[in-house]
Amino acid sequence: MTECSTPPTGAERPGEPKLSCEEALARVYEYLDGELGAADHDAVRRHLEKCRNCYPHFDFERLFLDYVHELGAGEKARPGLEDRVREMLAAETD
Amino acid sequence: MSIPAEQRRAEFEDEALIHLDALFGLALRLSGGDEPRAEDLVQETMLKAYRAWDRFEAGTNCRAWLMTILRNTFINQFRKQKSRPVPVEFDQLAERPSSDALYEADPEGRIFDHIIDDQVIAAIDELPEEFRVAVVLSDLEGLSYQEVAELMDIPVGTVKSRLFRARKRLQGRLYEYAVEMGYVK
Ligand SMILES: [Zn+2]
Repeated sequence: MTECSTPPTGAERPGEPKLSCEEALARVYEYLDGELGAADHDAVRRHLEKCRNCYPHFDFERLFLDYVHELGAGEKARPGLEDRVREMLAAETD
Repeated sequence: MSIPAEQRRAEFEDEALIHLDALFGLALRLSGGDEPRAEDLVQETMLKAYRAWDRFEAGTNCRAWLMTILRNTFINQFRKQKSRPVPVEFDQLAERPSSDALYEADPEGRIFDHIIDDQVIAAIDELPEEFRVAVVLSDLEGLSYQEVAELMDIPVGTVKSRLFRARKRLQGRLYEYAVEMGYVK
């Protein structure tokens, strides 16, 4: 077990303010977008490790963002656009 | 016309035209599904890129370079016509308490495996422009909040709130589709 002189780490750090569910959920997008600073990110992560209310909520938002990130990759340029670009480049080269 | 100029054009076409689909895709989402506007944007991007081709460093990421030119071209147009206020109706709707309806109906997110992408893309296209551009830059293009803020010339806090509202609006539309499909009750 840890000695008394060892500085407490991670979830056991007693001086750290604990996040409420409301506070954790307010940071869901910043957390999932990787936009929180290290301390805030850790605070949310520690909350999620213990909170059965917030964890599925975060999981759902992560699935949603993963889904949106994949959208729009399959678009094809309409027929004729490439020809018009080539014509424009040829005109520009003259 | 000189032979070096022809070689230069051939070289540009070889490197750049393979990215036409990706450029058109980004242009189409930024312009909310407006195809003529998206095609103009791609043409303007290609012309700017061709004129700046001597400054492109061979071996670096041509696609990323072209996408940046396209984004900047779009943003310049967007800023010029930016004086329009955000529709109040959208702000109010986005704040409605049912913004978690999808999560409550389908907490495991199974809808994401069943929804038709075109419906969600249409929902993105329908977002007011200030919200759509933030979503496209952040969620489809993977830019950071800071990068979106700088491009759109708005504070980072505004980027956050626009993303929040836009994402909740999209989830609201997904919920409506899920109900229409009989996927949730
Ligand atoms: Zn919680």
